[in-house]
Amino acid sequence: MRELPSLDTALLGETLRRFLAEELRASGLAGYVVGLSGGVDSAVAAALAAAAVGAQNVLALALPGPTSSAESLRDARAVAAALGLKVEVVDLAGPAEALAETLGARGDQVRFGNMMARLRMVTLFDRARTVPALVLGTSNKSEILLGYSTLFGDAAASVQPLGDVWKTHVFALGRLLGVPETVVAKPPTADLWPGQTDAGELGFDYPAVDPLLYWHHEGGLGREALLAAGFPPALVDAALAAYRRNRFKWRPTVVARVSASCINVDRILPRNPER
Amino acid sequence: MGTLAPQPGDLVVALAQIATCPGQLRHNLARHLAAVEDARAAGAHLVVFPELSLSGYLLAHGVLEHALRLDDPRLDPLLNASRDVALLVGLPLREPHGGVSNAAVLLEGGEVRGVHRKLYLPTYGMFDEGRYFVPGPRLAPIACALGRFGILICEDAWHLSSAVILAHAGVDALLVLAGGPTELDGGGEPAGSRRWHWIMGATAVTTVSPVFFANRCGWEEGVLFGGRSWAVDGRGTSLAAPAPALDEALVVAPLSLAAVARTRTLIPIPVAERFDLWRAALGGQDA
Repeated sequence: MRELPSLDTALLGETLRRFLAEELRASGLAGYVVGLSGGVDSAVAAALAAAAVGAQNVLALALPGPTSSAESLRDARAVAAALGLKVEVVDLAGPAEALAETLGARGDQVRFGNMMARLRMVTLFDRARTVPALVLGTSNKSEILLGYSTLFGDAAASVQPLGDVWKTHVFALGRLLGVPETVVAKPPTADLWPGQTDAGELGFDYPAVDPLLYWHHEGGLGREALLAAGFPPALVDAALAAYRRNRFKWRPTVVARVSASCINVDRILPRNPER
Repeated sequence: MGTLAPQPGDLVVALAQIATCPGQLRHNLARHLAAVEDARAAGAHLVVFPELSLSGYLLAHGVLEHALRLDDPRLDPLLNASRDVALLVGLPLREPHGGVSNAAVLLEGGEVRGVHRKLYLPTYGMFDEGRYFVPGPRLAPIACALGRFGILICEDAWHLSSAVILAHAGVDALLVLAGGPTELDGGGEPAGSRRWHWIMGATAVTTVSPVFFANRCGWEEGVLFGGRSWAVDGRGTSLAAPAPALDEALVVAPLSLAAVARTRTLIPIPVAERFDLWRAALGGQDA
């Protein structure tokens, strides 16, 4: 079976560290704000940011909701301690309950989960405004390709250092950057409801799907070629279905072009102005 | 592979590997002037900057705002700096009748000595240059008081015929300005930088010409550039250790015009080029 090509993890980490340093410099802002979930993605993103701009310039927020596990908060604190980050806990249980009540979203796991992800986004961007800081994204390439994220929720950020990094390599970065082993080793979860895991929802885990996604997305192998390469049919069908179904999340907004100067279509300009 | 130490009478060429920012001309100009100071201190006669060094690479429609004419006052600090050290800088050049070229401008003695306009504008994968630039109309050596140089901009050098044509026309050295984006793989250096060194080494050896490769480093708009600026002579010997991949650096390398001429006399590969075979291959085909 075809594998995910290996990567020089140390070089990857060093280039991403410099990316975060440059983005902050170019933005003219003071630091990064990151939501620590207690998982490996946010831990790695925070570790890279701390290495890039100094731990004192990275504000970590732990954002528990009414159904968050105690483990997540404990692990978020462990990550902050390991990286020397100041961590603020903003308890979103009350606001989440109140908004769910107003919206009538109680009892709908997915609606409530998406709402939680978006409440965290609101909190992160609000806090970022006060620093002022960039919101550090924590999405990785595997979950972006599969669409395993909440639009304008956890997918919303100022910069995405891991957006082109396979989850397999995020684990490797975690070990390289000194993320606590309990965080690297535990099953990935969005922790939007009790007992939720990525693998439970997706139907497969990242070490299994990353090689398949690589050979489809980068290697150009279609379904038949993936099957011929030895990937299990159920895995191929589930992964390709998610890959196709959720592609709208790669480019979340479509602008109706009615002029010859449509932004990002007819006029593509550098993000940062001359200063 | 060894590195040649400068000898009396050699020219000294500095490769200014800088991290430019798109559309931030003041920032980029400051990087140029700092590199020129360092190069002067190192005894350089010529400083080669990367592709679009003054404007940054991923300008996109920013060329509308940031393209310069050769008489643009924003070039004055570089013209002044060129009074005692020649400079080869990259910039978007506003053409008189519309269109913008991706240009390399040779400054010497406070004047513009020559311009090379990029011939091959990559428009595939992550590249979109054909959308913003017009291709250069010609390929010919450019002469200044220091010598006669073949200038190539990035993709130009990926078409091996460019260097062959210049070497056949007679040049003292090839100067390559690059803005080479790169991805990472299992190697200990960026994949793009590794490819560049293969091309530069092969170009130097097969044209029997020293190659001075100035690449940029750093990030622009989420795109990583691979550095590793390097100089290699016509026999494949390093003229200086390559720059690191990720850091700004100044590579200082010797250029002996006498050694270049001697090597090319002993190994006259470029003058033996069978252009009749090119003509035959192209016979009956539309240009």
